[in-house]
Amino acid sequence: MTMTKFGVLVLFCLVSAFTKQNATSTEALMETIEVSNSMSLKGKFENGPFGIVSGNAFISFSNNQKNLVLENLSSSNGPDLHVYLSKEIQPINFIDLGRLKSINGTQVYSIDSNLNIKDFKFALVHCQQFNHLFRSANIQ
Amino acid sequence: MYWNKFYFFLGVIGIFNMGNQLKAQGIKNSNRNEFAFSSTIGENQGSLSLGYNYHWLIGKKQRLELGIGTRLTSVLGSKLNYTTAPANLARTYTAPFLIVFAGQSYENWDTLQVQRPLVFALNTTATIKYHVSKKLSAGFNIDLFGVSLGRSSSAILTSNGITKTESLAKPTAVNLLLTGDLDHGTLNSEAFLDYQFKKGWGIRLVYQFLFSEYRTNNIYQIAPDGTKVYRFRNKANNFGIGINYSF
Repeated sequence: MTMTKFGVLVLFCLVSAFTKQNATSTEALMETIEVSNSMSLKGKFENGPFGIVSGNAFISFSNNQKNLVLENLSSSNGPDLHVYLSKEIQPINFIDLGRLKSINGTQVYSIDSNLNIKDFKFALVHCQQFNHLFRSANIQ
Repeated sequence: MYWNKFYFFLGVIGIFNMGNQLKAQGIKNSNRNEFAFSSTIGENQGSLSLGYNYHWLIGKKQRLELGIGTRLTSVLGSKLNYTTAPANLARTYTAPFLIVFAGQSYENWDTLQVQRPLVFALNTTATIKYHVSKKLSAGFNIDLFGVSLGRSSSAILTSNGITKTESLAKPTAVNLLLTGDLDHGTLNSEAFLDYQFKKGWGIRLVYQFLFSEYRTNNIYQIAPDGTKVYRFRNKANNFGIGINYSF
């Protein structure tokens, strides 16, 4: 193997290892949650600059546990999609609830019980790696 | 800070003047040139470096080599965590050199997760190398000062449980070795073992200690003492291989 080939191989391996993020699962989820109080904080996903997302987002309260529920979600796919609770419609000040579990179905994300939920008016689907906001839902 | 810079420049002058001093003392010395390429990998990151060094061979048997040169290091990563960089916040005390023994002030640290870091650092490098046998040698090199360029990237700053998005984090432009967390910018250092497999050619095993640094533009950490922090550092222990050519 020539030095040039060796260099190209090393470069390729490094670029491959550190640039690729897996797309989100497409499995249709149907997570359920026991709800003891009303689901008053509810909103519908609306247009964002990237991606196509439909469905509802609401906060559920159950036994002092708060959850964000994405109901009947349908989203275009992308790398490194995350779910945020955000103070603004853009992800400026937010809580990261983790990676989007699937681009289809109903899914539940737990929220720190100490969080003052009234400060966070928006649920966002955000491509973290490339800083692309897919959609937002005003949940208050 | 003033004394740090003073000691640093004294050191640089000393290295450049080393060959003349050895000649004046009547010590036999000759020299050689070396090109070295290495590739390392670590947690969520990797690096490539290409360097040129001018070496003085020292001693009757010329087993010791001291060198000065330049090196281009590229750092590539994914979702790499950078923590609060200023030494007065990162460590319990900041005396030059002794800072490496100082405790970590974790309570002051916040984390900037840079999504797609890519830094190119061009630095002046010092090297020391010892020939254990005819074919085997061991050494250490360290970046002294230089400049960095790189890709701007979005980043997530986590501070007091709240996260914020930085849309335009950039590599710190100026690199300067001031020891430990007093350092600025992106600085590479390597401990290595060379095995000469052919006249002039050697393969290299590398343990790398790599600092890289990003700056935020739109958001910042507010430290407990009220300081606004824009600089964040990643420290990595990487392992790799390389190849070098001497003439």
